[in-house]
Amino acid sequence: MFEKLAQSAKTVVEDARHEAARRGDRRLGTDHLLLALLHEEELAQAVGVDSATAADAANQLDRDALTAIGLDLGAFSPTAHAAASKRVPLTAGAKATLQHTLVNAAAEKARTVTSRHILLALLDRREPDSAAALLTALDVDRAAVRESLAVPL
Amino acid sequence: MESVNLGEQLRTASPATGLRAVGALHRLAEHVEATHVAQARRDGWSWEQIGDALGVTRQSVHLKYGKQGNNV
Repeated sequence: MFEKLAQSAKTVVEDARHEAARRGDRRLGTDHLLLALLHEEELAQAVGVDSATAADAANQLDRDALTAIGLDLGAFSPTAHAAASKRVPLTAGAKATLQHTLVNAAAEKARTVTSRHILLALLDRREPDSAAALLTALDVDRAAVRESLAVPL
Repeated sequence: MESVNLGEQLRTASPATGLRAVGALHRLAEHVEATHVAQARRDGWSWEQIGDALGVTRQSVHLKYGKQGNNV
Protein backbone atom coordinates (compact mmCIF):
# COMPACT_ATOMS: atom_id res chain seq x y z
CA MET A 1 0.00 0.00 0.00
CA PHE A 2 2.81 2.44 0.93
CA GLU A 3 4.70 2.04 -2.36
CA LYS A 4 1.95 3.88 -4.18
CA LEU A 5 2.20 6.96 -1.99
CA ALA A 6 4.11 10.07 -3.10
CA GLN A 7 6.72 11.45 -0.72
CA SER A 8 4.33 14.01 0.80
CA ALA A 9 1.86 11.23 1.65
CA LYS A 10 4.62 9.03 3.11
CA THR A 11 5.75 11.95 5.25
CA VAL A 12 2.20 12.29 6.60
CA VAL A 13 2.12 8.62 7.64
CA GLU A 14 5.55 8.90 9.31
CA ASP A 15 4.49 12.11 11.03
CA ALA A 16 1.28 10.44 12.20
CA ARG A 17 3.38 7.62 13.66
CA HIS A 18 5.27 10.19 15.74
CA GLU A 19 2.02 11.87 16.82
CA ALA A 20 0.69 8.51 17.99
CA ALA A 21 3.84 7.69 19.97
CA ARG A 22 4.05 11.17 21.45
CA ARG A 23 0.43 11.05 22.61
CA GLY A 24 0.96 7.64 24.21
CA ASP A 25 -1.20 5.70 21.77
CA ARG A 26 -0.35 2.13 20.81
CA ARG A 27 -1.67 2.34 17.27
CA LEU A 28 -1.67 4.90 14.48
CA GLY A 29 -5.27 6.12 14.17
CA THR A 30 -7.14 8.46 11.84
CA ASP A 31 -6.88 11.24 14.45
CA HIS A 32 -3.07 11.02 14.20
CA LEU A 33 -3.31 11.20 10.40
CA LEU A 34 -5.40 14.36 10.76
CA LEU A 35 -2.93 15.97 13.19
CA ALA A 36 -0.07 15.13 10.82
CA LEU A 37 -1.91 16.54 7.78
CA LEU A 38 -2.55 19.81 9.60
CA HIS A 39 1.22 20.34 9.88
CA GLU A 40 1.07 21.24 6.18
CA GLU A 41 0.20 24.88 5.84
CA GLU A 42 -1.99 24.63 2.72
CA LEU A 43 -4.03 21.82 4.23
CA ALA A 44 -4.36 23.60 7.59
CA GLN A 45 -5.64 26.61 5.66
CA ALA A 46 -8.17 24.50 3.76
CA VAL A 47 -9.46 23.00 7.03
CA GLY A 48 -9.22 26.32 8.87
CA VAL A 49 -7.46 24.72 11.85
CA ASP A 50 -3.78 24.28 12.64
CA SER A 51 -2.22 21.19 14.19
CA ALA A 52 -1.71 22.73 17.63
CA THR A 53 -5.37 23.78 17.84
CA ALA A 54 -6.46 20.28 16.79
CA ALA A 55 -4.16 18.68 19.39
CA ASP A 56 -5.69 20.93 22.07
CA ALA A 57 -9.17 19.88 20.95
CA ALA A 58 -8.16 16.21 21.16
CA ASN A 59 -6.88 16.78 24.70
CA GLN A 60 -10.13 18.53 25.58
CA LEU A 61 -12.12 15.54 24.26
CA ASP A 62 -10.04 13.35 26.57
CA ARG A 63 -10.70 15.57 29.58
CA ASP A 64 -14.41 15.78 28.80
CA ALA A 65 -14.65 11.99 28.50
CA LEU A 66 -12.86 11.54 31.83
CA THR A 67 -15.13 14.12 33.48
CA ALA A 68 -18.17 12.26 32.09
CA ILE A 69 -17.11 9.09 33.91
CA GLY A 70 -16.47 11.06 37.09
CA LEU A 71 -12.73 11.71 36.88
CA ASP A 72 -11.72 15.34 37.15
CA LEU A 73 -8.05 15.89 36.31
CA GLY A 74 -8.10 19.37 37.77
CA ALA A 75 -4.90 21.24 36.97
CA PHE A 76 -2.99 18.06 36.11
CA SER A 77 -1.24 18.29 32.79
CA PRO A 78 1.39 15.77 31.71
CA THR A 79 4.87 17.20 31.31
CA ALA A 80 6.75 14.36 29.61
CA HIS A 81 6.16 12.85 26.21
CA ALA A 82 5.29 9.18 26.17
CA ALA A 83 8.12 6.79 25.27
CA ALA A 84 8.65 6.52 21.53
CA SER A 85 7.43 3.11 20.48
CA LYS A 86 9.32 1.32 17.75
CA ARG A 87 6.27 -0.35 16.29
CA VAL A 88 3.04 1.60 15.91
CA PRO A 89 0.68 -0.46 13.74
CA LEU A 90 -2.24 1.18 11.94
CA THR A 91 -5.78 0.93 13.30
CA ALA A 92 -8.39 -0.66 11.04
CA GLY A 93 -9.80 2.83 10.45
CA ALA A 94 -6.41 4.23 9.40
CA LYS A 95 -5.88 1.29 7.01
CA ALA A 96 -9.33 1.81 5.50
CA THR A 97 -8.59 5.53 5.11
CA LEU A 98 -5.34 4.89 3.22
CA GLN A 99 -7.09 2.35 1.00
CA HIS A 100 -9.86 4.88 0.36
CA THR A 101 -7.11 7.42 -0.42
CA LEU A 102 -5.74 5.20 -3.20
CA VAL A 103 -9.21 4.61 -4.64
CA ASN A 104 -9.94 8.35 -4.67
CA ALA A 105 -6.62 9.18 -6.30
CA ALA A 106 -7.20 6.52 -8.97
CA ALA A 107 -10.70 7.88 -9.66
CA GLU A 108 -9.15 11.33 -10.07
CA LYS A 109 -6.62 9.78 -12.46
CA ALA A 110 -3.95 11.42 -10.33
CA ARG A 111 -0.41 10.39 -11.20
CA THR A 112 0.74 10.62 -7.61
CA VAL A 113 -1.07 10.05 -4.31
CA THR A 114 -0.51 13.09 -2.12
CA SER A 115 -1.40 14.28 1.37
CA ARG A 116 -4.36 16.14 -0.16
CA HIS A 117 -5.87 12.77 -1.16
CA ILE A 118 -5.45 11.49 2.41
CA LEU A 119 -7.29 14.54 3.77
CA LEU A 120 -10.13 14.01 1.29
CA ALA A 121 -10.44 10.39 2.45
CA LEU A 122 -10.43 11.49 6.11
CA LEU A 123 -13.32 13.89 5.48
CA ASP A 124 -15.46 10.87 4.56
CA ARG A 125 -14.93 9.17 7.94
CA ARG A 126 -18.02 8.92 10.11
CA GLU A 127 -18.23 8.96 13.89
CA PRO A 128 -17.34 7.21 16.13
CA ASP A 129 -14.13 7.36 14.06
CA SER A 130 -11.55 9.39 16.02
CA ALA A 131 -10.73 11.84 13.19
CA ALA A 132 -14.44 12.39 12.54
CA ALA A 133 -14.99 13.09 16.25
CA LEU A 134 -12.13 15.58 16.18
CA LEU A 135 -13.45 17.34 13.05
CA THR A 136 -16.86 17.62 14.72
CA ALA A 137 -15.33 18.98 17.93
CA LEU A 138 -13.48 21.56 15.83
CA ASP A 139 -16.72 22.48 14.05
CA VAL A 140 -15.16 21.88 10.63
CA ASP A 141 -17.47 22.31 7.64
CA ARG A 142 -16.54 19.20 5.67
CA ALA A 143 -18.35 20.29 2.47
CA ALA A 144 -16.49 23.62 2.45
CA VAL A 145 -13.14 21.89 2.97
CA ARG A 146 -13.91 19.41 0.19
CA GLU A 147 -14.72 22.31 -2.10
CA SER A 148 -11.49 24.15 -1.38
CA LEU A 149 -9.57 20.91 -2.04
CA ALA A 150 -11.41 20.18 -5.30
CA VAL A 151 -8.77 21.91 -7.42
CA PRO A 152 -5.44 20.21 -6.82
CA LEU A 153 -3.16 22.45 -4.81
CA MET B 1 -18.22 16.91 44.68
CA GLU B 2 -21.69 15.88 43.58
CA SER B 3 -23.47 12.93 45.12
CA VAL B 4 -23.51 10.94 41.85
CA ASN B 5 -21.06 8.10 42.44
CA LEU B 6 -18.47 6.84 39.97
CA GLY B 7 -20.32 3.56 39.35
CA GLU B 8 -23.43 5.46 38.36
CA GLN B 9 -21.48 7.76 36.04
CA LEU B 10 -19.73 4.78 34.44
CA ARG B 11 -23.08 3.19 33.63
CA THR B 12 -24.65 6.31 32.19
CA ALA B 13 -21.79 7.47 29.93
CA SER B 14 -22.33 6.66 26.22
CA PRO B 15 -19.99 4.07 24.68
CA ALA B 16 -18.31 6.80 22.60
CA THR B 17 -17.57 8.76 25.77
CA GLY B 18 -16.71 5.73 27.89
CA LEU B 19 -14.33 4.24 25.32
CA ARG B 20 -12.75 7.65 24.74
CA ALA B 21 -12.17 7.83 28.50
CA VAL B 22 -10.39 4.46 28.40
CA GLY B 23 -8.10 5.77 25.64
CA ALA B 24 -7.52 8.94 27.64
CA LEU B 25 -6.58 6.91 30.73
CA HIS B 26 -4.13 4.88 28.69
CA ARG B 27 -2.53 8.01 27.23
CA LEU B 28 -2.37 9.51 30.71
CA ALA B 29 -0.72 6.37 32.10
CA GLU B 30 1.92 6.45 29.33
CA HIS B 31 2.80 10.05 30.14
CA VAL B 32 2.94 9.48 33.90
CA GLU B 33 5.01 6.33 33.34
CA ALA B 34 7.52 8.13 31.09
CA THR B 35 7.92 10.92 33.66
CA HIS B 36 8.49 8.62 36.59
CA VAL B 37 10.63 5.99 34.90
CA ALA B 38 12.98 8.82 33.91
CA GLN B 39 12.93 10.13 37.49
CA ALA B 40 13.53 6.66 38.95
CA ARG B 41 16.54 6.18 36.66
CA ARG B 42 17.94 9.55 37.74
CA ASP B 43 17.44 8.46 41.35
CA GLY B 44 19.45 5.31 40.68
CA TRP B 45 16.71 2.67 40.41
CA SER B 46 17.72 -0.42 38.43
CA TRP B 47 15.66 -1.60 35.46
CA GLU B 48 14.69 -4.64 37.60
CA GLN B 49 13.31 -2.43 40.35
CA ILE B 50 11.35 -0.29 37.88
CA GLY B 51 10.02 -3.38 36.10
CA ASP B 52 8.89 -4.88 39.41
CA ALA B 53 7.18 -1.63 40.41
CA LEU B 54 5.31 -1.55 37.08
CA GLY B 55 4.56 -5.28 37.09
CA VAL B 56 6.50 -5.93 33.89
CA THR B 57 9.84 -7.54 33.10
CA ARG B 58 13.18 -5.77 33.28
CA GLN B 59 13.54 -6.42 29.54
CA SER B 60 10.27 -4.81 28.53
CA VAL B 61 10.88 -1.64 30.55
CA HIS B 62 14.45 -1.40 29.26
CA LEU B 63 13.33 -1.96 25.68
CA LYS B 64 10.82 0.85 26.06
CA TYR B 65 12.95 3.40 27.91
CA GLY B 66 16.58 2.26 27.55
CA LYS B 67 19.11 4.36 25.60
CA GLN B 68 16.65 7.14 24.98
CA GLY B 69 18.38 10.46 25.28
CA ASN B 70 15.22 12.30 24.21
CA ASN B 71 13.07 10.87 26.98
CA VAL B 72 12.42 13.43 29.71
